[in-house]
Amino acid sequence: MSYRAGAIGILCTFMIIIFSTVLMPMVLFNPKPSGRGNDYGVEKVANAARGRQIYVREGCFYCHSQFTRLQDRGYGPLVVAGDYVYEAPHQLGTARTGPDLTNEGGRMSSEWQKAHLINPRAVKPGSIMPSFSFLSDRDMNDLVAYIQTLGNERKTEHFVEAPDEYRTTTDAGRALMNRKTVDTNSSAAANAGRGIFTQNCAVCHGLEGWGNGPNAITLEKKPANFSRPFYKQYPDEFWFYRVSEGVPGTRMPRFGEILSEEQRWYLVAYLKTLPKDKETVIDSISQLNKAEQVKLPKLTDQQYEPHTGGGY
Amino acid sequence: MLTALRDKFLSDKEGSASRNFFLSALWWSLWAMGAGLFAAAEFAMPDLVHNVPQLSMPHLRMWHVNGVAIGWLSMGYVGAMFHMVPSLCKTKLWSERLGNFTMWAWNIVMVGAFCTLLNGTTEGREYAELSAVLDVLVVIALVSIALNIYMTIVNRKVKKLYVSLWYFLGSLFWFPLVYIIGQRTFVALPGLNDAIVGWFYGHNILGMWFTTVGVGMMYYLLPRLTQAPLYSHGLSMLGFWGIALFYAPTGTHHILQSPAPEWLKAIAVISSIFLLVPVLTVLTNFFMTMRGKWGMVVTDMPLRFAVTSAMFYLVTCVQGPFQATRWVNWYLHFSQWVVGHAHLALLGTFSFILTSAFYYSIPRLTGREWYSQGMIRAHYWLKFLGFLLMMTSLTIAGLVQAAGWAFGMPVDQWSLQIRPYWFFRELSGIMILLGQVIFAYNTFKTLYTPQAIPATSAPSVIKTSEAGA
Repeated sequence: MSYRAGAIGILCTFMIIIFSTVLMPMVLFNPKPSGRGNDYGVEKVANAARGRQIYVREGCFYCHSQFTRLQDRGYGPLVVAGDYVYEAPHQLGTARTGPDLTNEGGRMSSEWQKAHLINPRAVKPGSIMPSFSFLSDRDMNDLVAYIQTLGNERKTEHFVEAPDEYRTTTDAGRALMNRKTVDTNSSAAANAGRGIFTQNCAVCHGLEGWGNGPNAITLEKKPANFSRPFYKQYPDEFWFYRVSEGVPGTRMPRFGEILSEEQRWYLVAYLKTLPKDKETVIDSISQLNKAEQVKLPKLTDQQYEPHTGGGY
Repeated sequence: MLTALRDKFLSDKEGSASRNFFLSALWWSLWAMGAGLFAAAEFAMPDLVHNVPQLSMPHLRMWHVNGVAIGWLSMGYVGAMFHMVPSLCKTKLWSERLGNFTMWAWNIVMVGAFCTLLNGTTEGREYAELSAVLDVLVVIALVSIALNIYMTIVNRKVKKLYVSLWYFLGSLFWFPLVYIIGQRTFVALPGLNDAIVGWFYGHNILGMWFTTVGVGMMYYLLPRLTQAPLYSHGLSMLGFWGIALFYAPTGTHHILQSPAPEWLKAIAVISSIFLLVPVLTVLTNFFMTMRGKWGMVVTDMPLRFAVTSAMFYLVTCVQGPFQATRWVNWYLHFSQWVVGHAHLALLGTFSFILTSAFYYSIPRLTGREWYSQGMIRAHYWLKFLGFLLMMTSLTIAGLVQAAGWAFGMPVDQWSLQIRPYWFFRELSGIMILLGQVIFAYNTFKTLYTPQAIPATSAPSVIKTSEAGA
């Protein structure tokens, strides 16, 4: 008889679990559309709807997630439950071997996205994204159309926020702002910053800030091109943070250890003027700033070997 | 003529269904693990292949996951159950013909999966990629397996049910249901609900199938191999009901940081932590059974595989609950650490216990001794060391990645830092696959080499002593 009790136990346990974790959420959890997600059933984004199928078919979600978290810096606004009402099958993703794509739409030009799909390492050296060059033209265009719709309905002021200690939400940030004497919006400050930029930054970022300094060719991680419209949304304190702390994993140094606070604020004033409505694309080696050949004085043999120990 | 064909393809011979399931599992493991290795190579060398959609990383990954889960592990599990259940019930399998029919159906699923997944025909749901036709076939196969096992147990010659049978009975009841609910083949749920059901399935294919059948196999193998009675029947029951209660609702811990409902996340986290109770109960039972017998792992290879599996089970199940808590998950989620954890469960624990069952069962099913003990040892060391290397490299890579996310570094900056670990992972994959190839070769030689001493007339399935019950 105890087997019958056991069998009934297995049945009941399982039914309770299905009820509480599958059926109950279906009944209780019905988020209303938030108006911030894309409805791919609607005619106006027909290509994107097909692009979404390509996204599913090519398994993009194995490496790219589609939900932003509180701690993700620089990935745009947080998602809410209602954003996902039209997403079936869901593409939330489980691993981030690549970046999060929640708000990817509009970040890069469609040409860039396409080039990146065909040969990722041509536009992002060091990336391990597989090449999707086998996609047909139509598939590729639709996929890019889909990527460009991601996050379009989530309007935002800033994608990126500096860490807390640079913002007025903390004591450290308030103290920083109190010490600041430079008006970062004035053209005079920008002019002063230009000199600092030429001396410290131009060697990698180029004289115009297009990422085309003479050093650029030797760097695996290419220096940023400040003419990209993306940088328009950088707040002052984010520029200041980047300049001060450098970019980990690249050759960008921590200028906080080289330049004074005042110099860095002048630099911010100049950097703010660089983003344009359209990016100046650097795609050939002739566009790099050239460095003059350094002329070394001709040396005699003796000068070449000064450390002979005086033994002769 | 027709009867001859029927006897060839739907053999009635005792133990044939189990043997055929085991061999199919081994066959698919080579293809699925090979795909995993190839995908790993593309992580290390992203420009390895261009313009071949079938060999692009996501397609290989889909096939790798489905191949090892549905092909290698599940088919092997069925093979093991078809051997263990009749043995525990001191009777024959209810229908060898039905068993062999299921074997063919499952192999057709695998051929279909191979052709569709590599071409990108997917439903786009992680762990549930198989398309509708294949889903239906899987369910048919699962139901006929359940019927076969249930009828065998009904016809049993012993009164009391050993704990392994409880696990098998439970799994065969839960898993078809979980599979049907989890596939979502004919429904389109709104995004987050889709994710909730998806992870209910994604975690329970592990919790209600791989774990429960795997633990049932451990309960069978350890007492048999050590010739020692099970330490405690009471503890084993506690462990069984603990797993049944706490495993199923844990799925939502995979989307802990998404906007899914908080109460559901709370249920998932709490039951994940509660899982420590049945896991430690089960392992206490195993390790107490091993008292005074630890030395046997030196000579007894199946036992060595089984004990390694139990050790890895301990590591997995201590890691798992902590990863599921919000504060650890906050840091580690999305990183390769999780991939390492998944391999620890499926490769370290369940693949090892299946291999143990394989080495234990094949001589009993065919009456042939293993062709080479040396090859078994080579297989063990390649798989064990290869797996440790994989686990270490993925864990370190995961920690680097997690730090990158936590400090807000752009992806392409930390991705450069973890490049060496992709190469180590690739190396570990080579070791594991090489071990598996040696395993396959050993099996082939065992079965198809004419042996000097003719095999004993009947397999010793029924004669083996009943342990522990």
